[in-house]
Amino acid sequence: MAEVILKNVCKIYEGKNKVVTDANFTVKDKEFVVLVGPSGCGKTTTLRMIAGLEEISSGEIFIDGKVVNALPPKDRDIAMVFQNYALYPHMTVYENMAFGLKLKKVDKKEIDVRVKEAAKILSLESFLDRKPKALSGGQRQRVAVGRAIVRKPKVFLFDEPLSNLDAKLRVQMRTEISKLHKQLEATMIYVTHDQTEAMTMGNKIVVMKDGIINQVDTPMNLYNNPVNKFVAGFIGSPAMNFLSGKIIGNDKLSFKSNGGSIKFELTANQSKRMSKYSDKEIIIGIRPENISIEKPNENSFPVEVNIEVIEPMGNETFVYFQLDGIQFISRLREYENLFSGNIVRLFIQVERVYFFDKETGDNIN
Amino acid sequence: MKKYLLYGFLIITSVLTLIPFFWMLGASFMLDGKASVFPPVFIPEPFSIIQYKVLFERLNVFRNFINSLVLSVLVTLFYITFTSMAGYAFAKYRFKGKKVLFNVLLSSMIIPSQVTMLPLFLLLKYMGFINTYMAIIIPGLANIFGIFLIRQYCISIPDSLIEAARIEGATDFQIYRKVILPLAIPVLVTLAIFSFLGTWNDFLWPLIALTDDSMYTLPVALSNLMLEHTKDPELMMAGSVVTVIPVIIVFLVLQKYYIKGIMMGSVKE
Repeated sequence: MAEVILKNVCKIYEGKNKVVTDANFTVKDKEFVVLVGPSGCGKTTTLRMIAGLEEISSGEIFIDGKVVNALPPKDRDIAMVFQNYALYPHMTVYENMAFGLKLKKVDKKEIDVRVKEAAKILSLESFLDRKPKALSGGQRQRVAVGRAIVRKPKVFLFDEPLSNLDAKLRVQMRTEISKLHKQLEATMIYVTHDQTEAMTMGNKIVVMKDGIINQVDTPMNLYNNPVNKFVAGFIGSPAMNFLSGKIIGNDKLSFKSNGGSIKFELTANQSKRMSKYSDKEIIIGIRPENISIEKPNENSFPVEVNIEVIEPMGNETFVYFQLDGIQFISRLREYENLFSGNIVRLFIQVERVYFFDKETGDNIN
Repeated sequence: MKKYLLYGFLIITSVLTLIPFFWMLGASFMLDGKASVFPPVFIPEPFSIIQYKVLFERLNVFRNFINSLVLSVLVTLFYITFTSMAGYAFAKYRFKGKKVLFNVLLSSMIIPSQVTMLPLFLLLKYMGFINTYMAIIIPGLANIFGIFLIRQYCISIPDSLIEAARIEGATDFQIYRKVILPLAIPVLVTLAIFSFLGTWNDFLWPLIALTDDSMYTLPVALSNLMLEHTKDPELMMAGSVVTVIPVIIVFLVLQKYYIKGIMMGSVKE
């Protein structure tokens, strides 16, 4: 297994379309790194550059300490699992898994051992003689993973492998891939647009937007300390609520939203950090779970809201309402006596409020 | 009711289409003069294979049959090889001038083949290929119709299949041979049928390019026969049967491979 390093990697199409800008990150040996971001953010292009399927416009990619910029995919010792499985329809599951090894002229007995071993890991033993069309979506995806496993590559690349599966199967495969990572102790790079997949699977997450890496961090750090408004809004489900307003006061600072529906005093610590934003427009961010119906502590401020929609999930309830004309969502513990149209008082924890620069979107907390 | 009318119509048109065929088959097993009667007779009485004996023993049609067979098989093999390679390249490779080259090739479809016969003849004469198999094989190596058909089919093959093979270590030729060709079987078979039938049935070009009796293909040899034996319709029909049977066999054998959903299950659309 190996380390993958990207140094100032750029991808420019037709001399002008910059789809990846200065990508820098390291995937350590045996690490599971997830590239996440909205569609068109350049995550798949980055993965394809690591695979050698796209040329690099500038920068360097190292695999196992060697620059691989000029190496064709087959010489990079990587395996890739595609979003659409990319199984050879004219070959059986066995032949699909053995194809790469046959090309490498690996001994037949060795091929047989490796294919059967992978089939066992992925519970595909009874499907080895079937063609892909006779398999379900989940089984096909497992064959695609098996095809990668048998080659024992240095790095596994996954390009949104679960996005074609239904929700239940996706959760199941998610765990299976995580288990596989532990079992194989392999270096894995995984691309997804689904932040839940990113949070649950990765040791480290690379958040991308418009071809630029916004933050590289562990899942919990991303959640608790997002570097900017984009990362804060992208990580977490339901997403963080945002509201524009102004910092007012001199020593003891307060925040007042533009529409006037929120006004609260900042904590002493927050005031210290936010002093240079006095009298300036900023954006605050509040996670849905930091809005509660019971007062959690003294450092909380109340808001009167008119409930628009209630979404009971069983173990929790999502409550939708408006503040300053902006849709807010709060995640409450089960409340059977809440109904849409109710006017209730909710509490927001001040120390859990995030502050973002209005111009740059940077986290200024 | 509508269904019955439709079936009735289909049965009648099928019978009308098959009548000349059955008459040809019947007449080929008749003795001289038995076929030229009115109303036409379909069942040979007595049944005789004399016409076939004359055809193969006296007129040596076997040599022409072999010419046709060898040429049709060779042309088909070369045609399939070259059109599939070109079609695949036009569908999946990025190279300079691809669009222009393809459009130029496409535009050549509007030129009638008869127009190219004289320059083609002169070219092959200059190369010394007139009256050899090469005179038939070379012009049949590839055409834009085949390239276009394969290209369209290859476009529907997902790039990820090719990329997966590339990552697994396949060379360009291995991808073509082990991934693309097996997937393109339905369209290759369709083209093989077209090519085989086209070469087997072609009359004009072999007539121009092959000048020696021993090099004639079946249609050319039969047309010569017709001039010599205009009063032997039974012999003519035996010649026609010999010409038509291989075509029917090829079609029946290959028709099950006609374009079908072979791609099913490869990728999730």
